[in-house]
Amino acid sequence: MEEAQKQVWVFGDYRNYFQNRVTLQLIARARELAAAMDGQVCVLLFGHELQDWIDEYVAHGADTVLVIDHPSLKVYQSETYTGLLVDLARQHRPEIILVGATSFGRELAARSAKRLNTGLTADCVDLRIDEQGLLVQTAPGFGGNLLAEIVIPRHRPQMATVRPGTFQELPHDYLRAARVERLDLPPNLPPERVRLVKSERLPPREQALENAEVVVCGGRGMGSKKKFRNLHELARLLDGQVGATRPVVYAHWAEDGALVGQAGRQIKPQVLFSFGISGAIQHTAGISGNPFLVAVNKNPNAVMMQMADVGLVADANQVCLALIRELKNRLRT
Amino acid sequence: MNTVVLIKQVPQAAELPWDSRTGRLKREASEGMMNPACKHALEAGLRIKERHGGTVMAVSMGPPEAEEVLREALALGADQAVLLCDPRLAGADTLATSYTLARAVERVCPDFDLVLLGCHTTDSETGQVGPQMAEELDLPAVCDAEDIQIQGKRLTARRVSDGFLETLELTLPALLTVTTQEFTPRDTPLGGVERAFAQAQVRVLDAEALGADSSRMGAAGSAGSMLRVYSPTAQKKGVLLKGAVKKNVQDLLDRYGDRLGGLIRKDLGLEG
Amino acid sequence: MELNPCLKHKLLRKTVREFAEGVLGPIAAEIDHEARFPWEAVEKMRALQYFGLQAPLDLGGAGLDTISYAVVVEELSRVSAGVGLCVSVHNSVALYPLLRFGNSEQIKRLAPDLCSGKRIGAFCLTEANAGSDASGVETMAVALRPVGGQDYLINGTKIFVTNGGVCGLALIFAVTEPGANQRAASVFLVESERPGFQVGEIEELAGMRCNPVSSLFLEDCRVPAANLLGRPGDGLKIGLTALDTGRLGIAAQALGLAQGALEAALRYAKERQQFGRAIAGFQTIQNYLADMATEVEAGRLLLYRACSLKDAGRPFTVEAAMAKLFCSRVAREVTNLAVQIHGGCGYSKEYEVERLYRDAKVTEIYEGTSEIQRLVIARGLLSQPGGRPVSS
Repeated sequence: MEEAQKQVWVFGDYRNYFQNRVTLQLIARARELAAAMDGQVCVLLFGHELQDWIDEYVAHGADTVLVIDHPSLKVYQSETYTGLLVDLARQHRPEIILVGATSFGRELAARSAKRLNTGLTADCVDLRIDEQGLLVQTAPGFGGNLLAEIVIPRHRPQMATVRPGTFQELPHDYLRAARVERLDLPPNLPPERVRLVKSERLPPREQALENAEVVVCGGRGMGSKKKFRNLHELARLLDGQVGATRPVVYAHWAEDGALVGQAGRQIKPQVLFSFGISGAIQHTAGISGNPFLVAVNKNPNAVMMQMADVGLVADANQVCLALIRELKNRLRT
Repeated sequence: MNTVVLIKQVPQAAELPWDSRTGRLKREASEGMMNPACKHALEAGLRIKERHGGTVMAVSMGPPEAEEVLREALALGADQAVLLCDPRLAGADTLATSYTLARAVERVCPDFDLVLLGCHTTDSETGQVGPQMAEELDLPAVCDAEDIQIQGKRLTARRVSDGFLETLELTLPALLTVTTQEFTPRDTPLGGVERAFAQAQVRVLDAEALGADSSRMGAAGSAGSMLRVYSPTAQKKGVLLKGAVKKNVQDLLDRYGDRLGGLIRKDLGLEG
Repeated sequence: MELNPCLKHKLLRKTVREFAEGVLGPIAAEIDHEARFPWEAVEKMRALQYFGLQAPLDLGGAGLDTISYAVVVEELSRVSAGVGLCVSVHNSVALYPLLRFGNSEQIKRLAPDLCSGKRIGAFCLTEANAGSDASGVETMAVALRPVGGQDYLINGTKIFVTNGGVCGLALIFAVTEPGANQRAASVFLVESERPGFQVGEIEELAGMRCNPVSSLFLEDCRVPAANLLGRPGDGLKIGLTALDTGRLGIAAQALGLAQGALEAALRYAKERQQFGRAIAGFQTIQNYLADMATEVEAGRLLLYRACSLKDAGRPFTVEAAMAKLFCSRVAREVTNLAVQIHGGCGYSKEYEVERLYRDAKVTEIYEGTSEIQRLVIARGLLSQPGGRPVSS
């Protein structure tokens, strides 16, 4: 590997590939960052029998793939993987390391940043290089209504995690070529202290909300658990699915699986009804595809109302009930 | 079993009022509360104590007002409470926070068996402090634990991680972070509130008392630096309907029924 | 006197508010509408020591001070005044007199069940011909003198008994000597399972509808002398002492109602649009809100001061009467204005102020009408040479 060239690293997280293509999405953004500093994109890949992933990452934009392939790495282990990543980072001194914000990635990134004594910004919604060549990380802060731009001026590497779905992957290019560097497992790796006794793949979770063309989302403005149930009736009439905000899920008005946002489901409906939702970034980050948005809120200045194609300044539940009545009338005819 | 639970006070309001002129957050406008995941972690600690004996110590870092969440922890059943309170600790990122909290745990409870944290806080949501403390304290750790079983020095934890249900085993002492899925917190008994004030104390420590490297704490020990904070601007400029609900709903369907109906393949046009 | 709430009272308020909003909030309208006692909520409150607020910790109580007691009743009543009433009456005019006047055997035998809420307490003074005039009590307790023991046989009818339908222990006021001075009533601790103790029909009331206010019938109800509270003839003393504390509870309840109504009115005034703006923008509404908030705050100070006097072990009879007189009027006026601000919606069961408005009125009536409070206050004023009943 040419050490002179600045490097943007991406951790190759392949465990749940079919539901989560975050590594490919990160490679795409890493290419833009590398271009801005005349550097190259390197993907780290730890595990066993990894050829499919090597091919996949190369086809999606990696310039280099650093591979450590060993039977003992067959399952994800946070201490061991942290040790490998940190060792390599100390040798190669990358400028930037990007990690997908999966359960494993979050822990790996946090541990690695600690061992490397550097900064780590969680859940970035944007990444760019500024005039001084610093990585500007945009992340939600303070409960999600605000975005903060953060830089890591003195420490290297600059580290960030990014939620799946934040960036777009590049098209698959079979003809791309890249350097693949296979490394040996370091001999004096300390043993993993956390033993995986059992691991079962959970059935792929229901994707109805993710795939729904119509989503009816409710927030605290619905008023109560009982009133929140009216949204299900509305969704039924529209052949849609019900989504919810975090406060509503915390209050058990809706199931965890209904959570729309950064920490929950990513939706891409054609039509989105938003009832009593102010529009914190943690929620809006879960909405993509620019749907036709109808928002209902008593506060006309709520972010959601300003984003809306049609905003109704009113009590969310009353509008929900009126819509149900009106739809029943019209659908009957 | 000596358990230390790390507790953070977070703003109660999901959305803090923000002064668009000064770009400052009106933090004082909001009441504090115990971070929900921390409350679940405390509940996990209390259940472990009920089953295996021992003590639960609650530790928080924050302004003097954070005494309140520690009193709440005492009211719920914690045995001791410690507040790290020093302006020099302010402005810490997770790198500095995890260093500071790790030193604090070593200082106030050197013979701990278990350190518990919430998996993330509602105000910053990084979820990084737990694993970084595990690094700092050099402890085996499990993040996002949902079930905890202890036999002697062996701890078994279950968690859901990226679509896998995992059972993990480690030897104490250890660190766990707890999600809000399990360990639903108990309600506070009123006698607990009385006891939290009449029979317990909140020990307050400043940076010096930790005897730690001050260049690694607070803003000085942080790697990240904030360039600016801004309110995401809305992209669309749509129609705003005010007034009678029924009329507005009819208007909505009259004006957009074709469009909505087309998108969802139903006829929602004018009443006919 | 400390005017800033200490952290303990703040945390206690938060604790109760969270519980009330989380557990009572979702059912408050329904239990009012159906006139249903919320056992499911009471079950939770038992475990959390709501039924032993000021009882010592070793009896299973929460060991709280009197300001705390007011805060708890206030916060419960802010969400459901009927539940606040249950807790207030149980703690102040059932458990408190037992702890104050009971002998150690009675306390050991009966207090734990009251503190745990296993038995809910009731206070039975009022009869068809006795209310404000306590000397009109006609319920009779006749001493039986069998060999080896002393029992009483109680006969009479009590009316408007708060918690009547669910009570496990009733404090029954009865006269023991027919023809003797009727002021010499005595108080008997009567467990509800005693033969001859019967709950009458639940009253259909305008407000506080989740509380099963009922008549109680005592027909040859045999009670051992061990259940006599204090000495024979102590009834008036016990009743007045209990009612002093009870009035703090009713004042707290009224305050909670007023606070709830004020918050609802504020919310509505900011939302409701008329003439192109929120009605909170109109000066008339602002004046209403300002007056409401000022009255509530004044009531709170009056109440907490009376509570702090009690905690300091000083006389507080007059102050408790003042707090009850004032807070109950504030409750009526503030809930009235809250309905007014809501306009037609305020008259609808869709909005909570309709319930608060109905609930508020009775605070001017029970545990001593406003007229009786004035009498208590005036008596205090006139009995002091300086005309100032209590110095601060």
